[in-house]
Amino acid sequence: MAVPTSILAARRFGYGLRPGETPPADVDGLMLQLRRGVAAKPRFPREGVAGRRETIGKMLTVRAVEAKAAVEGRPNPGLRQEMQAEVRRIFRRDALARMAQAVSSENGFFERLASFWLDHFSVSARKAYQMRMVVPLFEAEALRPNLAGPFRTLLRAAVLHPAMLIYLDAEPVSAGAASPLAAQNERLARELLELHTLGEDVAYGPGDLQAAARILGGLAVDSRSLDVSFRAAAGSAGDLALLGRNYADRAASAHLAMLDDLAARADTARHICTKLAMHFIADHPPEDLVAAMVAAWQDTDGRLDAVYRAMLEHPRAWDPAPGKVIAPFDFVISGFRSFERQGGEFSAVARAAEEGNADWRQAAPVARRGAAVEQPDVAYALTLEALARMGQPIWQPPSAAGFPDGEAVWLYAGQLRERLAWARLVARTLGQGIAPSDYVEMALGGAARDATRQLVADAPSRVQGLTLVLASPEFNRR
Amino acid sequence: MADASLFRLSRRGFLCGAAGAASLAVLPTATLAAGSGDNRLVVLILRGGMDGVDLVQPHGDPGLVALRPGMALSPDADLLDLDGFFGLHPAAGDLMGLWQAGELGFVHAVASSYRGQKHFEAQDVLETAEAEGKAGRTGWLNRALSLMPRIGQRRAVDITAAVEPILSGPNLVDVWAARPDRPLANDEMHGFGDLFAGDAAFAASFQDVANAGPGGLFDAAARRAGLIEMARQVGAMLNGDYRVASFSLEGWDTHVDQRGQFPQAAGDLSAAILALREGMGPAAWSGTIVLALTEFGRSLRLNDRGGTDHGGASCAVLAGGGLSGSGLSRKTVMGRWPGLAPEALYEGRALMPTGDVRDVAAAVLHRQFDITPANITSKVFPGLAFDGAASLLQAG
Repeated sequence: MAVPTSILAARRFGYGLRPGETPPADVDGLMLQLRRGVAAKPRFPREGVAGRRETIGKMLTVRAVEAKAAVEGRPNPGLRQEMQAEVRRIFRRDALARMAQAVSSENGFFERLASFWLDHFSVSARKAYQMRMVVPLFEAEALRPNLAGPFRTLLRAAVLHPAMLIYLDAEPVSAGAASPLAAQNERLARELLELHTLGEDVAYGPGDLQAAARILGGLAVDSRSLDVSFRAAAGSAGDLALLGRNYADRAASAHLAMLDDLAARADTARHICTKLAMHFIADHPPEDLVAAMVAAWQDTDGRLDAVYRAMLEHPRAWDPAPGKVIAPFDFVISGFRSFERQGGEFSAVARAAEEGNADWRQAAPVARRGAAVEQPDVAYALTLEALARMGQPIWQPPSAAGFPDGEAVWLYAGQLRERLAWARLVARTLGQGIAPSDYVEMALGGAARDATRQLVADAPSRVQGLTLVLASPEFNRR
Repeated sequence: MADASLFRLSRRGFLCGAAGAASLAVLPTATLAAGSGDNRLVVLILRGGMDGVDLVQPHGDPGLVALRPGMALSPDADLLDLDGFFGLHPAAGDLMGLWQAGELGFVHAVASSYRGQKHFEAQDVLETAEAEGKAGRTGWLNRALSLMPRIGQRRAVDITAAVEPILSGPNLVDVWAARPDRPLANDEMHGFGDLFAGDAAFAASFQDVANAGPGGLFDAAARRAGLIEMARQVGAMLNGDYRVASFSLEGWDTHVDQRGQFPQAAGDLSAAILALREGMGPAAWSGTIVLALTEFGRSLRLNDRGGTDHGGASCAVLAGGGLSGSGLSRKTVMGRWPGLAPEALYEGRALMPTGDVRDVAAAVLHRQFDITPANITSKVFPGLAFDGAASLLQAG
């Protein structure tokens, strides 16, 4: 099957086709998306990076004052509830803005990489109250600006961000422990070694882990300002030796030196390159593809843009056979993109979804003026609720390892059922006036099989015709 | 009667089109005087091509058994006799009470002007009553709204979201997105089965979805229950402020296993009509007509998958207390029966259209809302002569 390169590029390396958007023609087109994406400001946090820091500061101050008053016997539950509601509202707007970002962006490859790194440096908004405000900030200021440069820059930005330090905080030291050592952060140390850098298969000793935990234990987050500080750990040379390097004499920069060394290790290059190839190319990527990416890493001292290019320049990247099953976020975003005929269709859905909730199934019927896209509960069902039901709620990964990946994870009866239901609902909601035969082109272009085209043309209703396109194996693979 | 200020605002909303929606949304709802001007209309679109000869079977026509051996039902066994010549499929048997009360009618062998085999095109012609391919389509039910002489009657609600053409157009319509998670119909399940057949991993997962049974995406009992709940709520809305409603019923595209699939769809239709009646209550029902139309009929012989293919005429279904006292309540199946002799068939394979489905709709619009024949034949169904509708309405 001959699938045009541009269609493959948009579907395999981006969030799919969008009417009116010219898909990238080749590797250079994708790399241009990368550069543009790094420079662009995301739609979240809504008030911008500086504005969000201000918001968080205000919120934490009010909370501290309220907590102090409560201790003194003057609790203010109304204020507390009001703040919690406000935080929920802001989080929902940000999550919808993350969807809008992916739907509307012309830099699909960059957006996909942002999601990849968000998943790699996994943090959850569920961890703590303030995290709902902090995680969007984390993605916007730590990941997106740094994902096309040297890996060590990205690693520093991600690991030293308050979001990561709050998510992987030090276990409380048990009372009465005799150890004079400074706080240790074994959780962060383990995830840093196994997830963020070296990979799970790499052997390191208990002493290595202890050293990393002691060094990282010197990191602290101010509970009001969220400023991150580092205090060098006290210890003998042996206590602070990691993988044969000693950080005892690095004082206030021990943590940075350790991160840079980890970023430079061959195991890290191999781990990251393999993970990228598995994410973009195949559950079991060819060895020479990974080798080419590792070589690019070594040649450039870990420049990620060079690694991406090496991946894109490998012939396997352009194998026209339908490949990986796409994850729920990708499915929903690609679906919304395919309906952006005028531009702004998703914006209307997102606006309505701010007011929606999941109770509509029980609610008394209320008919409203206006299109179905403006029905808050339908809009909510199509966006945040759908992602939660399909198992990929925004900024809420199940663990530090992020969301799982692979065909076995995203293709099973319950998942397919949710996708069929979503496809039908979005077809009913956004499909007005679209001929299904036109829609095949809008959503799949040359990637559509003849059999699918025929079934779509013969569908018993327009809604079912559109639904079949979104349900098709080729739409759900890339 | 609606008061003057309401009239003015509604008029403005009408003139402004969608731009006026915001100001209208906050208006108190119209309260309508009871009486002869308080009629209601529900239009059901039976999507997929309903087999009218299966729903209303001409057991008196020897061609039926000849064409459908093993599928034609007999009034001696399961078929529910209607008038000595036609009988109702037992899956819709719950409607017999309405038939006996003069609140059920059928117009057989009707079709739109469309003679092709494509669902979307056929549905467009059915819903817009315009020539195919014409730009700027509006639905005939939407066009009819502005011709209803009593303003309150214009309140219309589109149940299946705003995607369908029948209620789209310049007149404002409310939308109720009812239970979008309703389980899917049999024909849709077969479509997905074919879609996934070429991909082993998807096919395997889909098998599990299709076989999930209760609580699953194709749970027929849950689908029925969901439809009943929706229709009941639509009935309640019609008992309130709304006077016109439309929704779709799927499941009629019986290319595969018609004997298994058709009873499910026919049962859905019957249940939906009775639930509308229940939701509405006796007073509102007494002034209501439910009109169920489909885009085309089906081939009379079974294909090699035990199903039927597209083509020819079908049967329009009418229900409601609003039929009483008119020719639509004559307790014999209406329409001109073409017969099932080989030479009488459409293309040698399907029921020959002898009546225009627009005649049925025109009769109902005139009956329910006093829309004049002149307006109907110029603005709702341009080019239609009113004779067909008039003869349907004539008691007889």
